[in-house]
Amino acid sequence: MGLVTPLLSLLRALVYVFLLAPIVVVVLASLNAGNFLTFPPQGLSLRWFWTFLNNDVFIDAIVYSLILAALATAVSLVLGTMAALYFVRHARREAEAVRIAVLLPLILPEILTAIALLFFFYEIGIGTQYKIALFTGHVLMTLPFVFLNVTTSLQGRDDAVELAARTLGASRLTAFRRITLPLIAPGMATGGVFAFIISFDTFGISFILKGTGSAPLPIQLYDYLRFNFTPEAAAVSTVSILLTLVLVTVSNMLFGRD
Amino acid sequence: MKRARILMLIAPVAALIFLFIVLPYVTVLMMSFRAPAEGQPYGAGFSVEGYRQFFSQSYYALSLPQTMGLGIVTSLVCLLLGYPVALHIATAPKRWRGLLYGIVLSPLLVGIVVRSYGWTILLGNAGVINTTLRNLGLIERPLPLMYNEFGVVLALAHVFLPFMVLPLLASLQTADPAVRQAARSLGAGRFTVFRRVTLPMSMPGIQSGCILVFVLAISSYVTPALVGGMRVKTTTLLVVDALIDQFQWPFGSAMALTLAVSAGIVVLIFARLTRIRWS
Repeated sequence: MGLVTPLLSLLRALVYVFLLAPIVVVVLASLNAGNFLTFPPQGLSLRWFWTFLNNDVFIDAIVYSLILAALATAVSLVLGTMAALYFVRHARREAEAVRIAVLLPLILPEILTAIALLFFFYEIGIGTQYKIALFTGHVLMTLPFVFLNVTTSLQGRDDAVELAARTLGASRLTAFRRITLPLIAPGMATGGVFAFIISFDTFGISFILKGTGSAPLPIQLYDYLRFNFTPEAAAVSTVSILLTLVLVTVSNMLFGRD
Repeated sequence: MKRARILMLIAPVAALIFLFIVLPYVTVLMMSFRAPAEGQPYGAGFSVEGYRQFFSQSYYALSLPQTMGLGIVTSLVCLLLGYPVALHIATAPKRWRGLLYGIVLSPLLVGIVVRSYGWTILLGNAGVINTTLRNLGLIERPLPLMYNEFGVVLALAHVFLPFMVLPLLASLQTADPAVRQAARSLGAGRFTVFRRVTLPMSMPGIQSGCILVFVLAISSYVTPALVGGMRVKTTTLLVVDALIDQFQWPFGSAMALTLAVSAGIVVLIFARLTRIRWS
């Protein structure tokens, strides 16, 4: 027994290192002053960030991804919250079926869903034009995260308070705005942040449905990585990590829950 | 509220799932039985040519057991790495729990392309690990860490480890620590307590964690593509190649569905095995 405990602690420590190492290494590589990804780095520099800022392809991709994520999150927030309200307050025998249906995009393999959407939109004559298929895919991928978080914030709260407000003369809208909305706001915020990050990072859906023209950041990064080995990709990755961190921090400050 | 008004809450999502999940999956199923054609994705009429093409060419057919193996090994690695961590977090003092939880979840905040890229920086021939070992004089030639199954499994295990730890943690936290203490005070050794109490109690977590990681691993594209450098041919890579690059939709669909059905069979066997052994 005497040897097992320290061995377990060592294994545990190694797993924590294992989890963080690839991320730390990307950030460090972005500060490399050399022309290639060499290790140890040939001095520190921000030159790759400047290269990246002057590269329209990546800037376009980031802007594109941000807009796509914002729109998909907005739609998912509305639809996911409605579904969660129905699931917690009104669903009876069909509750389990509703839950599974909303979680389907999460349960099914993303790449298969992407292929299915590609065929479907092709069959109805739209294909990958107008980015409709891409946008639908992003809404599907983000929906379960809004639903799960809003459901959690609703469960265990009965709707008696909203009923009481109604009895006291509040209109349906006022009761929703003043009672229900504050109750589910933290769940919506967490769900929204999740949805935004999922959309910003998702690969399979964007890869299959991107169509022609500009593509989301993960796709642009993947295309670049297949043929290039400069630290510019690391700089792009670092910026995308930072964007995510900022988003999480700001939402924590605004809706502080731990 | 009137029933019709209530139904309006769920109607948009119900329509969304039916139109853009159910119908598209039916389309894939039908596509797999379409006739192949030259110069266009599929031809007129129906046939089983797509399935025949898959099973008659060993290059494609053999990718299936290889992909299943890759998924199973990734699940096992995640379980071995994730279990001590989940146990640690479940029993850690409250003020540490948040931080440890954060470390486990942090990979999820970073996109899958970036994480796979991180592994290529670590594992490449001129990567961090090989360069360090060479500078220390431990090796002369770089170790083959990337462009093979080893690197792909390692990177996949990293990418999906949170999906193992979360269910494990959920099942470990619902287990009452008093049961463990009772077993200890009745004279059971620590290993016996682990084998007879902790492990069986966390079995639901082990099951869902393993199934989740297995399914995610066999259907992932970026990680095998970047870390395996297209040299580790998983069925998912071949499916995307057939559909997107070769434009053979019936063949690609047949391959994708065969993969999905095989995965389902592996999951069922796993569920059956774990139930018999532990309860």
